[in-house]
Amino acid sequence: MVVKQVAVVDVIKKTFCVVFMSLGFVTYAQQDSTQVYKKKVLESIEIDVLLGYYEQEGTHAAVTGGIGNEDLQNIAPSVVVRIPLNEDDVLTADVGISAYTSASSSNGNPFNTAASSGRGAVQSGNGDGSGGGNGPKGTPWVASSGASRKDVLTSINFSYVHATEDRNRYWSSNIGTSFEYDYQSFGFGGGFTQLWNEKNTELSLKAQVYLDQWKPIIPTEIHQFDLYGVNFLTNNQSYFSGVSVIDKDGNSVASYLPSNFSPIDDVNRNSYAVSLGFSQILSKRAQFSVFLDLVKQQGWLANPLQRVYFADQANFYIGNRSSIVNYQDSSNTDVFHLADDIERLPRNRFKYPFGMRLNYYVNEYLVVRSYVRRYADDWGVNSNTFQLELPIKFNLNWKLTPSYRYYDQTAADYFAPFDQHLSTQDFYTSDYDLSAFSSHQIGGALVYTDVLSKFNLWKLSLKSISLRFQNYQRSDGLSAFSIATGFSFVLD
Amino acid sequence: MIKELFTDLKTYKLKKIKTFLIFVLVLVSSTSCVAVKEYNKVFLNDADMALKAPLSERFETTFHIYREAAAGANGGKTGGGCGCN
Repeated sequence: MVVKQVAVVDVIKKTFCVVFMSLGFVTYAQQDSTQVYKKKVLESIEIDVLLGYYEQEGTHAAVTGGIGNEDLQNIAPSVVVRIPLNEDDVLTADVGISAYTSASSSNGNPFNTAASSGRGAVQSGNGDGSGGGNGPKGTPWVASSGASRKDVLTSINFSYVHATEDRNRYWSSNIGTSFEYDYQSFGFGGGFTQLWNEKNTELSLKAQVYLDQWKPIIPTEIHQFDLYGVNFLTNNQSYFSGVSVIDKDGNSVASYLPSNFSPIDDVNRNSYAVSLGFSQILSKRAQFSVFLDLVKQQGWLANPLQRVYFADQANFYIGNRSSIVNYQDSSNTDVFHLADDIERLPRNRFKYPFGMRLNYYVNEYLVVRSYVRRYADDWGVNSNTFQLELPIKFNLNWKLTPSYRYYDQTAADYFAPFDQHLSTQDFYTSDYDLSAFSSHQIGGALVYTDVLSKFNLWKLSLKSISLRFQNYQRSDGLSAFSIATGFSFVLD
Repeated sequence: MIKELFTDLKTYKLKKIKTFLIFVLVLVSSTSCVAVKEYNKVFLNDADMALKAPLSERFETTFHIYREAAAGANGGKTGGGCGCN
């Protein structure tokens, strides 16, 4: 009996030992798995393919001094690839091009248009100022076939984000470049984000530097003056040799001289930005963020291709004198007003926009997204922006997001409409992007989410397809339309 | 030195910055007691609740930067990097 009891106790002891040892192993195994498994910041490679199209119409072309055809078409494909390098680090590559054709830009040289007779005809102009026959013609209302009518901007950007183990801190850096025919840019920056309060509160600080450079293209008549000096109208090498320049009454004259022009001495344009962001969860359904940017820009902040006309100087034209009276009307197809100077703006600009987002989850079908911004700068521009988006989910796959955006701004101190500046001013622009206006934008987005990743392309599983469309109306008459489509994939 | 700093703070630009910083400070202090637990963030984790513009909005942002004088304060581009305003 005693032997049996000892044997039972022995068995119990052994059982406990085994159980405890097992528990130990289990505990060890759990600890080990906890150490091995860490949720990645990004689980797998994500690829976004985007294609945007934009077109606009307007009658305030800045290249021709604030009047003229503003038609523009732009197409911009881009690819964004996000690569998880390990559990904590993500590298993003963003490559895109943006190709445009612009009636306004084309009129950097308006004389080689379909409406004009080109270089050969310039040489054989009849010189009577009538503009009839073979004389060169131009107009701000018709697109020219000049080289500046189209351009392609190519941009390449890389960014790197590192998250700490507890995912409460993020470090980021970026570097990128973009280049087009008359402009190139090199940018870099870094940032830091701190989360606390159980990730309910977030503070971020970013700094960004752009070191940009113009390769200035200036209007043809100014360029010829720059090349050949005061005798540019008679110099045999000049584009205008043998061409009749006429005054407002249609008389041939030789007194046209854009003497306010001085060459661009510094082609650099540098921008330095510091951005502060703060976001906070307000409840299980609401969160908001505020942003403050402080931006300092230095260098050639004007666009060298944009003309300015002075009210206190005589007007000179090339083309059909009988069309001068209709110069500001789109019926003018054959006379062009020669510029007094190019746009000139201060070498410094300080911007301080302040924005706020507030999002509210109403229910499983509806989210309210709102954004407001107050902007001011030391050029006298003050603006307000308000945007509302209402993502409506029909089911797990389909979502429609109607949106509305209101914007207004006051004019920059240096803005005046066509032919209203004075030659005694230091700075001047007739670019209506710097005028006082308000705008309304109405549009929406249709998104299909492939929840089960049914569609596959090679090793890519489709995440979502989106289609955005926006109609933009500006109070100065500019209207625009944009449509963008995006395909999001995950690499298996 | 401190006197100069206060003089600067009285200027228009820095006044705005100061106002913003005070605003943030008030927000931080008034909301830091709110702490929604991770398991209660289902609604907040919805993609549409993200406090940033969706990637597909970048074309609109780009044309706004060209067609309007204001830019920035949206977590994205602040100006620079293009021949825009």
